[in-house]
Amino acid sequence: MKVSCRLGLCLILFSHIALAGPAQSGRSIIFPSLNKQPKLEEEVLTVYGAVNHRVISPLFKAYQEAYSNVAIHYTESNTRHLYEQFLSEPNNRPDVMLSPAMDLQFKLANDGYALAYDSPELGRVPKDSHWRSELFGFTYEPIVTAINTDILAREALPQSREQLLNLIRSKNHLLDEKIGLFDIQQSGLGYLAWAYDGQQSRSYGRLLEAFGTHQAQLYTDTASMLDGLLKGQIFIAYNLVGAYSYQWTQKYSWIKTIMPTDYTTIIMRTAFIPRDAQQPTLAKRFIDLLLSPEGQHILANQSALTPISAKVKGPFSRDELNKLPHGIFRPIPLGLELLIQTDDAKKRLIYSEWRDAIQPELKRKK
Amino acid sequence: MAKATTSIRRQLILMVAAVLIVINIIALWSAHIYANRAAKESYDRLLYGSALQMAENITILDSQVFIDLPVSAFETLALSASDRAFYAIMNGRYQVLTGYKDLPSIPFTQLLQQSSEKEKFIPIYYETMYHGEEVRFVALGKRLLEADSVNDVFIIVGQTSDARRAAATEVSQMALQFVALFFVITLLLLLFVIWRVLQPLQAIKQAITERSPQELSPLEANVPSEVAPLLKSINYFMAQLDNTLSRLQRFTAEAAHQIRTPLAGLNSQAQNAIDETDEALRQKQLQHILESSNVLTGTVNQLLSRATLTHRYQSHPFSPVSLDHVVKETCRELVVWALERQVEIEYLGDIQVTIKGDEFALKQMLQNIIENAIKYSPKGGVVEVELMVMNELADASIRLQIRDQGVGVPDKDKEHIFEYFYRSPDNFTSGSGIGLSIAKDVAEHHDARFHLKDNSPSGLIVEVSFPQQKGLLYES
Repeated sequence: MKVSCRLGLCLILFSHIALAGPAQSGRSIIFPSLNKQPKLEEEVLTVYGAVNHRVISPLFKAYQEAYSNVAIHYTESNTRHLYEQFLSEPNNRPDVMLSPAMDLQFKLANDGYALAYDSPELGRVPKDSHWRSELFGFTYEPIVTAINTDILAREALPQSREQLLNLIRSKNHLLDEKIGLFDIQQSGLGYLAWAYDGQQSRSYGRLLEAFGTHQAQLYTDTASMLDGLLKGQIFIAYNLVGAYSYQWTQKYSWIKTIMPTDYTTIIMRTAFIPRDAQQPTLAKRFIDLLLSPEGQHILANQSALTPISAKVKGPFSRDELNKLPHGIFRPIPLGLELLIQTDDAKKRLIYSEWRDAIQPELKRKK
Repeated sequence: MAKATTSIRRQLILMVAAVLIVINIIALWSAHIYANRAAKESYDRLLYGSALQMAENITILDSQVFIDLPVSAFETLALSASDRAFYAIMNGRYQVLTGYKDLPSIPFTQLLQQSSEKEKFIPIYYETMYHGEEVRFVALGKRLLEADSVNDVFIIVGQTSDARRAAATEVSQMALQFVALFFVITLLLLLFVIWRVLQPLQAIKQAITERSPQELSPLEANVPSEVAPLLKSINYFMAQLDNTLSRLQRFTAEAAHQIRTPLAGLNSQAQNAIDETDEALRQKQLQHILESSNVLTGTVNQLLSRATLTHRYQSHPFSPVSLDHVVKETCRELVVWALERQVEIEYLGDIQVTIKGDEFALKQMLQNIIENAIKYSPKGGVVEVELMVMNELADASIRLQIRDQGVGVPDKDKEHIFEYFYRSPDNFTSGSGIGLSIAKDVAEHHDARFHLKDNSPSGLIVEVSFPQQKGLLYES
């Protein structure tokens, strides 16, 4: 009991910090082992993730219940930082990498940094949710738009990108500096979602133009963007991960989450075991848990992340997601298509369009 | 018991199986080669297609190369879902414009040569290790034209070979399944065909097995032309056997009769002799008994000698026999017995001849013929025995003639004279009627021809012609 109390304490402590500031550099959280038998030697599973630790901790708890001698060292940072750190610190690689930036994760796997593992659980998740038994998608999450309804006055909540553009047009200067975006140059997930929009939508150019004209605010993480939304610093937050946004909506009724009805981008959070992991066996067990019905159930019920498995029930299951108003679900394919997102030339093009429109030197908010 | 050689069925099955296995191995091997080539070609096309799509989207503006790679190029690569892919766009100065910076073994020489020749670029395929895996690359040049300057860029796209291997394996496995199925079906069909073809033999065997031992009528079966001679032989053999058996039957019946009748006579004569009171009559009756007993002894002796001969035929191989010697010896042995009947024996011919044969049997033959001649000769008659070599015809032969001066045999009886116990109806001389048939048997056993001719003015000539035998000398 003592152990879980301590665990609860550190969770509360860190959740506060996590919401307060941007997760620019890595922040480590230790989940001590539940070991009651001193005979068993304590082992450490190192996990790096761009997943909020509060969201992932139920999984860690389940893991430690099964393997009580394992302590988990979790380092949380944003997707791009995670990627760059992985490449720049070859001696400091984790046992498991978790990130929603599918393109960056894929690039690492394609370049041979991932360990292949034929998890017995692979048969229970959709076929296209893993690649080469190296990269494992474990969630199925919509990219959404969150709106502080204070801005709407008597107008209807926009449902599509077209309606969002109309709203921005009609509110005009009211929305100057009141639109929140991920800084695609800082956030891997932001770039992924934005580049994918570029492939999918004809409204992409007009959106960019609108964001530019209204001097959109740039954020590097979801938490600070949602905080800004809550405090009225921004009224519209575009391309957020649904899980966090829906949590906000539950708490604060004036914040609405929209899955655009023209199309809704779906991303998968992915996990892989680095080839030079210190504890590959512990890591494999973690992957097994992550993909198992038990792990997927935890995601759908406690982590508030929509799991990849369509069979699992729970408030955040795929069934529930389907019941919400949405457009065509467009999952970003987990495959070689993602290489285009990491292409330097492509990136330069998108960055330059972005910079031209948004002029980050002047508008960027830390 | 005849030793069976390897069964036709087994030989056929083994050969058919061997041929099938060889054919199937060749088929599998070809399928494997084909599968590999097909997989290689189709995945090379994907690679090339991807490179082309990338090339399509590279342009030049104000001497600045502008690259906007299309998703479709990567979607094309993603068709092989489990393969890694690598790419790079480079300029003529070996600078990587975008993509992987450390791709190995890029065939720059060839690319630059293609570039300098100002010809159309053709794709260059090569394989090399990258990130610890074998990767197949395509390198393709693209010419960028702007005003008066020419700039070439090179597109290099590579992919690991898992999908190719999987595709090749899949085709090979399908081929394996097909070939296995084909093998089993063909083998079953051929087994059926073999069974069907060999069925007539089985049918013959069945027909023979099912018969009672006494049934020797020809087998009636519809058989293919290849088996017909066998059936014919079997039927011929059975006809022979039937013939032999019926002869044996008749012989046994006749022999029983021939022995029983004199025995009955002897019995009654002996009874009469016991009852007879007149000593002179009784003496005469006893004389009769003795004569009958002699005749019976002769008959039994001949039957036994025949049995002996039959046994010898099967157990004694031929050996060289001096024929003239045997003839002379037989004449000598019979000359006393002949003189008792006032008949002379005259031996003619002075040749020496050796043939292959059975001496004992030949002697029995001569004895029987000469005894017969003596028996039917009139008192004071002469039996001529002559041995000669005939060279008249293409093939020389040894001819033995025994000529008597008796009444001869009418032509209608000549056919029957060799039948056991046959005696001319108007013949009253004592005799068993076996002698000549035994002689004929021996002659035939020696492949000799047995002829009966008329002597002039009367009498019978028995002629035995031995065929020429190689390696044996006859001297005149």
